[in-house]
Amino acid sequence: MTRRNLIVLGLVAFVIVAGIVYMVVQQSRLPVELTGGLEPLPDVPIPPDNPMSEARIELGRYLFFDQRMSGDGSTSCAICHVPELGWGSGSAISPGYPGTSHWRNSQTVINSAYLPKLFWAGESLSLEKQAESAWTGNLAGNLDPAMAEERMRQIPEYVGVFEEVFGAPPNWGDALKAVAAFERTLVTQKVPFDAYAQGDRGALSAEALRGLALFQGKANCIACHNGPLFTDNSFHNLGVPRNPLYDSNINVQVALRYQHLSRGVPEEAYQAADRDLGLYYTTKREEDMGEFRTPPLRYVCYTAPYMHNGVLSTVEEVVAFYSAGGGDDPGKDPLMQPLDLTAPEQADLVAFLHSLCGDEIIIEAPELPPYAVISNR
Amino acid sequence: MSLRHALLLLVTPLAVGALVLAACASSTPAGPAPAFTLPEAPAIRITPLPPLPAELPPEAAFPSVADPAWEKLPAAQVALGKYLFFDDALSGDQKLNCATCHQPDRAWIDGLPLSVGYPGSLYFRNTPTLLNVGDKPLLYWDGRLDGNDLPTVIRDHIAEAHFMNADGLLVVERLNQKPQYAELFRAAYGGGPSYGRMLNAVAAYVGSLYSPPSAYDRYRAGEAEALSAQAQAGLALFEGKARCATCHSGTLFSDGQYHNLGLPQNPDIFDEPLRHITFRRFFRTLGVPDYSKLEVDVGRYALTQDNSDSGYFLTPALREVGRTAPYMHNGIFVTLEEVVAFYNAGGGESSELSPLNLTPAEQAALVAFLENLSGELVSVEPPEAPAYQLTILGGDQ
Repeated sequence: MTRRNLIVLGLVAFVIVAGIVYMVVQQSRLPVELTGGLEPLPDVPIPPDNPMSEARIELGRYLFFDQRMSGDGSTSCAICHVPELGWGSGSAISPGYPGTSHWRNSQTVINSAYLPKLFWAGESLSLEKQAESAWTGNLAGNLDPAMAEERMRQIPEYVGVFEEVFGAPPNWGDALKAVAAFERTLVTQKVPFDAYAQGDRGALSAEALRGLALFQGKANCIACHNGPLFTDNSFHNLGVPRNPLYDSNINVQVALRYQHLSRGVPEEAYQAADRDLGLYYTTKREEDMGEFRTPPLRYVCYTAPYMHNGVLSTVEEVVAFYSAGGGDDPGKDPLMQPLDLTAPEQADLVAFLHSLCGDEIIIEAPELPPYAVISNR
Repeated sequence: MSLRHALLLLVTPLAVGALVLAACASSTPAGPAPAFTLPEAPAIRITPLPPLPAELPPEAAFPSVADPAWEKLPAAQVALGKYLFFDDALSGDQKLNCATCHQPDRAWIDGLPLSVGYPGSLYFRNTPTLLNVGDKPLLYWDGRLDGNDLPTVIRDHIAEAHFMNADGLLVVERLNQKPQYAELFRAAYGGGPSYGRMLNAVAAYVGSLYSPPSAYDRYRAGEAEALSAQAQAGLALFEGKARCATCHSGTLFSDGQYHNLGLPQNPDIFDEPLRHITFRRFFRTLGVPDYSKLEVDVGRYALTQDNSDSGYFLTPALREVGRTAPYMHNGIFVTLEEVVAFYNAGGGESSELSPLNLTPAEQAALVAFLENLSGELVSVEPPEAPAYQLTILGGDQ
């Protein structure tokens, strides 16, 4: 073999090897790279003072479905967080306690374990605190904690289980812990997006892939819907229009105006009461008016209707709302700009959002233990 | 060409067109998306409701028996209180009002041994009448609230979890959404609805409920035939051999003191879980130690935690007693005959009473006397309820 032939052979071998290396590298890169911290969910954070155990979770399931944990014994958590309705209420505005209505949309319980701030305006900082606000809220559970404790203590099964789990008779603080522990089990398992993020290039359809590119690019959803939960856990004003129910339903109107009254907004704002003031109720800063915490997007397929007041009925409507640059509000976030997404682009985004959902999570309501005579006589 | 052919000719191109359209629709068309429109607020038209009368005929134009100098509160406050008394908006779930337990046509009680209380719970004591409340120095069976501060008693009823379980500001907001109240409050207090004004108004109404003069009063005034011979014999026994007047003294027939009759417990308080829950929570919130181990209703003890007060209850007034069965703090006696027989036996265990040795005829005479402590039954009509009305949000638009 001549020297020249050797060189040619070497070059050919190099090209073949380089080609193989190139192909392997290409293979490991995703067709659309992930940005903004989008990734599978980490393990559920467990507060050190509420360690998980099977018995604690099971007790929480009972309490979650127990309607006696409300003032008039009619309204369990599951009245507004219905497993079959995406763990929301399926209605624009959450129904609320008898004789009242809520004035906001009921949010899904799924993945709430990851949220550092709960409720639409982030009023609560833990699942335990959220449960307390929901049980005692005059538009939700309207429940007196001492009454709740005495009711639980009149149910022998609860007395036994509390003793086993907490080494104490049924009590308010431990009931909150049990419900929170149960809710920490309600998380989305491997959804198609997660498989994709872990290298399964086939996990997303072509439409979803284009949707992902738009999500991170032209549509700029990623600006707020980022991180493993698809939320920045911050507050934004999108100019979501007032739900017409605020104008036409007396109980919703009472609820909205009661919120104004009880949170101590200025008289002028109370008299107008033309919208949900969101974060402002807590901070009383003008610039926070109409701001709500970015909702997570996982499980979004099951949680219609959408937005803090449920004014949008479908994911398609939500995407169209963003494409139009959101609503009309002087305090609207500057991030909200018209996106001019074409109809196929909007469909692609919707396809991507569907990849965040996975299977529906349904938990059966337990058969509740009855009250019993606990007489000392 | 037949009609059928003509129709076919007409329909075929339409059908083909529809198919083509359907095919197009199933593949997403390129180009800009259709414009998105936000839902619009419906046009709400609001017709102002007619004003309600700011003064109502008084329930019973009777003055206080105990305090002849008693002056009625301004009629507008009493009238406002009447609207509120019958308004479900004052309860957490808008399903009950004051008249749920204090029913005017039953002499302002519910006629049950034990009061029902808020839905999801049951109460563990008997509902007392509201008649003559304005003259009572202490209220509730254990005298835990001051009769001179009726607004506080009203607040206790509205806010308490086992009574009406309502948040004060939520109630005020509901009243704000019943625009007819605005004028009624202005007429009564010169300003719009507030929690304090609401409590005061209900107190004004409740404080206006006096029992009409009874046959006994006419007898005392010199009308000898107002009481039958049997009732007169009963009166003599009441003040004499039967010693009732020892505690049932004064114009209201109550000494305003606490006594222990050794009454039997009402088993329903212990055997009905919903009642026992309320029972336990009540004593717990009053700070009774070992409240969960109580085997009896300890009455006054809950407030003093003095053992010698256990089982003591406030002497109830006796006016209208013929209409307020069942009797005693736990409704354990259904008839006045049973009550008199209980006293005749010297009460129950641990009672401060002693046997009276009354003959059956004497007991019957006592009952006949007690039946004469009621006035004419006054019929009370609930007023037209102020109605909810939507507000145009955003002010005058």
